[in-house]
Amino acid sequence: MLGKLALAGIKNRRRDYLVLLAGLTMSAAIFYMFANLATNRAFIKANAVVSQASLIFGFGAVLLILITVVYIMYANSFLLSMRQHDYGLFMMLGATRKRVGELVFLETLILGTIATAIGIVLGLLMSKFLVGFLLNMLGLHLAHLTAAYVPAIIATAVLYVGLFILASLFNLVRLTRTTVLNLLHSDEQANQPKVKPFRQLIQGTLGIVFLAIGYWALAAIKVLQVMAIPVALVTITLGTYLLFRATILVIIRGLRHTAWAKKHLNGFLLGQLNFRVHNYTRMLTIVSLLFAMALGAITVGSGYHKQLPMMAKTIGTYTIAVHDKTPVEQKLMDQLHVAYTATYTQKRQGKMVYYNADEIAKQPVEQQRYKKSGQPEAQLYTQSLKDFKKSGTQDMDFMALALGKIGAYTPKILSAEQFAKQTGKTVTVTTIRVKDLQQDKKPLKQLNKLENKRFAAPDGMTVGSYQGFEMMNGFFGGLEFMGYFLGIAFLAMLASCLMFKILSGAPGDQRRYRMLYKVGVRQNLMRWGIAKEIGILFLIPGIMGVIDVLFGLQMFKPLMSAPMSPYLGIGSTFLIFIGLYVIYYLITLALYWRIVLPKTTTD
Amino acid sequence: MTTATTVVDVHGLEKTYGKANERQYRALKDINFSVAEGEFVGIMGASGSGKTTLLNMLSTLDTPTKGDVIVNGHDVTKMRGNQLADFRAQEVGFIFQDFNLLESLTAEENIGLPLALKGTASKVMDQAIHEVAETLSIADLLQKYPAELSGGQKQRVAAARAIVHHPSILMGDEPTGALDSTSARELLDLLTTINQKQAMSVLLVTHDPFSASFCQRILFIKDGQIGSELKRGSQDRAAFYQQILTELGTFNE
Ligand SMILES: Nc1ncnc2c1ncn2[C@@H]1O[C@H](COP(=O)(O)OP(=O)(O)OP(=O)(O)O)[C@@H](O)[C@H]1O
Ligand SMILES: [Mg+2]
Repeated sequence: MLGKLALAGIKNRRRDYLVLLAGLTMSAAIFYMFANLATNRAFIKANAVVSQASLIFGFGAVLLILITVVYIMYANSFLLSMRQHDYGLFMMLGATRKRVGELVFLETLILGTIATAIGIVLGLLMSKFLVGFLLNMLGLHLAHLTAAYVPAIIATAVLYVGLFILASLFNLVRLTRTTVLNLLHSDEQANQPKVKPFRQLIQGTLGIVFLAIGYWALAAIKVLQVMAIPVALVTITLGTYLLFRATILVIIRGLRHTAWAKKHLNGFLLGQLNFRVHNYTRMLTIVSLLFAMALGAITVGSGYHKQLPMMAKTIGTYTIAVHDKTPVEQKLMDQLHVAYTATYTQKRQGKMVYYNADEIAKQPVEQQRYKKSGQPEAQLYTQSLKDFKKSGTQDMDFMALALGKIGAYTPKILSAEQFAKQTGKTVTVTTIRVKDLQQDKKPLKQLNKLENKRFAAPDGMTVGSYQGFEMMNGFFGGLEFMGYFLGIAFLAMLASCLMFKILSGAPGDQRRYRMLYKVGVRQNLMRWGIAKEIGILFLIPGIMGVIDVLFGLQMFKPLMSAPMSPYLGIGSTFLIFIGLYVIYYLITLALYWRIVLPKTTTD
Repeated sequence: MTTATTVVDVHGLEKTYGKANERQYRALKDINFSVAEGEFVGIMGASGSGKTTLLNMLSTLDTPTKGDVIVNGHDVTKMRGNQLADFRAQEVGFIFQDFNLLESLTAEENIGLPLALKGTASKVMDQAIHEVAETLSIADLLQKYPAELSGGQKQRVAAARAIVHHPSILMGDEPTGALDSTSARELLDLLTTINQKQAMSVLLVTHDPFSASFCQRILFIKDGQIGSELKRGSQDRAAFYQQILTELGTFNE
């Protein structure tokens, strides 16, 4: 009987349940995708460079588990907020606590298990298509990436079902501890937090101090090494929490006494926030951190993506050098977007390689400027033939055009007549500098392969910056991919956390907006009021998160040394990220409106 | 057109619940009556007789199936969307059985809500709030939240909110329903004071003869129709109370 009643209750709110189920399913799917990448040995082994990033994978996994825990906590509170009135009613009707407890336990567990099962299937599909898509877009290739990987399936299932058992137990305890009356009127109890100026002041100061320590720790990663990360995590969390506690309430209280608060629904908005924000402090702290991590991860990922070619540029003056080009190679070269190209005839004899002065005069060799510290600058120049003969022949990039078993041949420039008479093995070499490495990645890759077959220097290397780019791509590409992947996963989860926490307040608000409707508040005014209220709850962690990232990027300075910089081109990344965040806000808002706004005519 | 002294004028009002293809229920059938300015009118009837339905039509919380409802010169059946909301905010004061106070706002902020909606200047608003708080003797409760108030105090705050913007009519649907007898009596006395001092028309829905005895005129509803009417005239409340009891005895047979 009770089972039937419970089922009817669920049916009445099937749309809310669908939202909940969809959110949980997505979360499980994302976790599976990650677990699949992080635990797949064959995949990690095959991508040696990625395995260097296994530490990052580990770090990511811990973070993801943490978020998942928080996420399920909030999803669960949403579930409970929808159901507790019904449960209270059952108890009032004489159902024993034990019976109701069983019901709660089962309901939570069944919902969780279904979500996990669908989530894993969805995760499988997403691994197959989405990860491939992401890699493709980034131009990365990761071998042995299979969609279905049993240990990952087990890991996901164990974690999620485990968490749901915990959540069920939590609900059980919650229900058996609270009185029937409290359950029935749970949403009518407003606890009005008190403002204590002195304590508030201390909290605020402490918060700022903690934040300062955290930001300093991130900047000082060279000194603190690995310790910087846990130190920053703890201090920034504490700092954010204290700062929120100290300031938000005071600001709201302050605003409440202004004339602005007495216009339209402003007073109601402040009242709502006042009585929400205190409960929300912890959630806002967590979300602001997640926001920072997600944004940071994506920023770093896209930073690598944009800046690797820049880094590669400083490796050599030309992108690639092709020796004795074949017709096939010529075809590939024709596809390149050339910024500078030169072709030289070499005559190699003994330890010497001879060049024709006429050719060099006509097509001067591009050289790179170096700073005093010996670091290359991303600036190129050419010399007159006379100057070049004096110093240019010592240029590393020029010497690298003729490499043999003995190492680099010693270059010598001969006049046209002398060159014609000179004996030796004749080789022509064409150097090409392309405009944009990313753009010409495909033909370059093939060219490099062909060149490698015939003219590999020792260790199977070719010369030119492309080779360096490819290596770095392998090394940092893993980081880049992780950045994007974690960023998107974090964003999805943090926004859902926020969404569920906010939505769990909706059933209580339903009554409030019904009252406003009766009092004669225009529908539009209510819509606006809700949009503002939820907007502020999204805005607070957003702002804090952006600040965290701006400081946090300091951490990557040693990894992205000049000419790269973690701050380069972050504007567009921020915009895209914020765009996604706004979409989440709009979804939350639409759901909230649907739950809360009274029907216009009657109910 | 109605005369200037008529606040509510109802003509041939009908309400049928349920859509055409569903099971239908006619809750109100051909209701006709009017309320003059400054009048204190009660509506009585058994449970399910259609009292709340009638009040919802008058306060525009619901729309009639047929007929006209004219409140203070506005034909509410012709209004839509924002007009309806504005009408409720400006012309009607409403006291509900379950108080309908916003627990996230203080008593003062609750009372000020109708003025805030109008966009009243904050000084004017403070003045109005304090005036009405004096009248209802809740001046010392203004800074409290509803959760900190007793039922009777909550209902007085609700009454203050209902009259702070000087609506043309005050409506109450069983406003004493959740109160003990002392608080109920206090509230009814207050309503009488408001009615007399401010000449505000009051429309009170109740099934309780004691509450009804505070009215000047009572309409009895049975099965969605006005069955009879009772006027207090010059008799005192106790006598009127007896008369109501007698009437109910015959009315319910
Ligand atoms: N939304 C609705 N849909 C269908 N029928 C309704 C609806 N609201 C009320 N009714 C029916 O209309 C009739 C009148 O209801 P109403 O709420 O007006 O009664 P009432 O006189 O206020 O009763 P009470 O004293 O118990 O509050 C009842 O028979 C009720 O079942
Ligand atoms: Mg009723």
